[in-house]
Amino acid sequence: MSGGVDSSVVAGLLKSQGHDVIGVTMKLWEGPNGEMPETGCCTSADSEDARKVAAKLDIPYYVLDYTASFSENVIDNFVDMYSQGLTPNPCVECNRSVKFDHFIEQAIKLNCEKVATGHYAKIIKNNGAFELHKADYLDKDQSYVLHMLDSKKLEKIEFPLGTISKPEVRQIAATLGLKTAFKKDSQDICFVGKKDYRNFVSKRIDVSSKGVIVDKYENEVGTHGGIHAYTIGQRKGVPGGQGEAKYVTKIDVENNKIYIGSRDELTTKKFLLEEVSFVNNIEYDNLSIQTRYNSDDVPCDIEKIEESIYQIELKSPTLGVAPGQFGVIYQGTKLVGGGRITSKVLEEVYE
Amino acid sequence: MNKNDYMYLDHAATTPMREVAFEAYKKTEMDAYANSSGGHALSRKAKNILEESREFIASCFGAAPNEITFTSGGTEADNWIIKTPFIDQEKIAELTTTQIEHEAVLASAENVHKNGYKVNFVSCDHDGVTNIEDFKNSMNSNTLIASVMYANNETGVVQPIKEISQLVKDINPQTLFHSDVVQAVATRKIDFHNLGIDSAAISGHKIGGPKGIGVMFLKTGYKIPSLLHGGKQELERRAGTVNVSGVAGLAAALKEQQRNLEEETKLIENERKIFESKIKEDFDVKIIGENVERLCHISNIQFKDINSETLMVALDLNGMGVSRGSACASGAQKPSHVLKAMNVEDGVINNHLRFSFGWNTQASDGEKSAEIVKRTIKEII
Repeated sequence: MSGGVDSSVVAGLLKSQGHDVIGVTMKLWEGPNGEMPETGCCTSADSEDARKVAAKLDIPYYVLDYTASFSENVIDNFVDMYSQGLTPNPCVECNRSVKFDHFIEQAIKLNCEKVATGHYAKIIKNNGAFELHKADYLDKDQSYVLHMLDSKKLEKIEFPLGTISKPEVRQIAATLGLKTAFKKDSQDICFVGKKDYRNFVSKRIDVSSKGVIVDKYENEVGTHGGIHAYTIGQRKGVPGGQGEAKYVTKIDVENNKIYIGSRDELTTKKFLLEEVSFVNNIEYDNLSIQTRYNSDDVPCDIEKIEESIYQIELKSPTLGVAPGQFGVIYQGTKLVGGGRITSKVLEEVYE
Repeated sequence: MNKNDYMYLDHAATTPMREVAFEAYKKTEMDAYANSSGGHALSRKAKNILEESREFIASCFGAAPNEITFTSGGTEADNWIIKTPFIDQEKIAELTTTQIEHEAVLASAENVHKNGYKVNFVSCDHDGVTNIEDFKNSMNSNTLIASVMYANNETGVVQPIKEISQLVKDINPQTLFHSDVVQAVATRKIDFHNLGIDSAAISGHKIGGPKGIGVMFLKTGYKIPSLLHGGKQELERRAGTVNVSGVAGLAAALKEQQRNLEEETKLIENERKIFESKIKEDFDVKIIGENVERLCHISNIQFKDINSETLMVALDLNGMGVSRGSACASGAQKPSHVLKAMNVEDGVINNHLRFSFGWNTQASDGEKSAEIVKRTIKEII
């Protein structure tokens, strides 16, 4: 229970269905003196909201400490990725390493049959296997950030909001008299809040190493104050050309160099995914891929290169495929699997 | 869940109000609700209750009535005594306290430090007993306040208060020696003057009195600035209408406690011992402060290989309420500063639970509690 409306309603729905429900807020992040963040999610005001909802629903409620696991698996990774010129997705890391790993383990220890969250995604049982599907309410679909869950994990999970729209969720919350009914959704990275992520990164590692910005012909067009401030596809802070907007097209960590180019140069047709996992078996027909959270589905083919490394060939070139983000493969609404987009090219894998 | 079915072992956090306290509170609120500083008949009635209670409460601690000021609780009393004497002091003034104090003292000390004064946090040994040598070295002619709790709220370990108070006076007779006795008064009889304590903090709800009432003891001869300003009450020491019903409740609770102290503590100690021995039979545990002087109602147990956060939740789900130390606002419980000060290793610092018994502990609670813990641990490992 994050203290938001979605997880509040999940608790309410499950309770009204007659389940024995335990509410838990995962404390993921704290400041140097143990204080919870002031903005973003996981603020003390949020856990207080969750506590009030749990009290209203008359369910046991606990705040459990996952700060060590979160710091190790999510924060360190976040900072490290930026230092490597990659674009991290901390929500995926959190789901993979904390929420649907340590948290599920603890829930099982406490004799819980299942863990339910307020994610918008659907679990469908098909011939004994559990499939992960996009939520019916596509505007809010969060299956992308859940792609690492396999059938075995899904058996232990419930996503009660998979068939409900956000307005309906708010309506249910209001009907149940939950104070979070009209609370604004949090869009921020929970540990960064409304502040600039670059400051967060630069406080933790030395990224001040200045370098040059070049075009595809290696012509120097400007300088930069550290590669962590750039992501693929970024336009802001990039020296503009005459008339035509320029974007970051490549980040060369080794040489501390940022490449920029026109929008056309950002397009990608082939790339590799690493750490690939599948929900059930691999599929090959009628596939599409999302290369960022909530991006459009682009039809694609996949080819296995070696264990957990796959090549994606898009049927139409696409903008802004950023190494570090995840490529998540669907077959219609069914999520097939996904992995991290790597900056490596095929030749490097074979080396 | 019926409250009788729930095994409440978190008396160190707060303990249920004694029936007599509740009756006294209610009666005062009904019959003597007026402002005790007012000038009419009902006020005089309230004033009488207030002053009779003050006399009785003072007598329980070997104090004079004018040494007792009523506060909203122990936290206010600690804040008052730690912080206000530093107002307008030259920056050479120092505060000496320990690393294992209650947050009310520690946070007040941090505040003093923030205002530019030197604060010395004295270490403790592996059992949680204040390190006397370190204490001695942290005292000097500039020490304005020295503050050492009588007994620790997380471990129950009793501090050598008389020895320390003597040390304070030997090094600097001007230093005000404060002691947070909030946890100790739950099961100990304390005489402030006899122990050389110049000021103390007491909380009503730890001894079966109402919440929201406490005592600040300050030895005759000392004067400290007010913490709360407003209408002059409590001999102009503290503003705010006096919580007379709270005071009456506290006095009634204390009366019952003092009368039954021997009987109550004997039962508590017995049940706690049974509890500890039953737990030891089945699990690899370490009982904190087992070999030193300890309050009879607290048992802080280190479970090898069992995370106490999970155990605490599982115990609650099985009908038993305990805690890991002091809860913070967010509800998540951090590794205890007391255990850290005791140099408990990182690998086991999150494996501690505090079980605390209280005045309404029943014979057989020790055995019953041990059974719940045994069953729960078997479920989660």
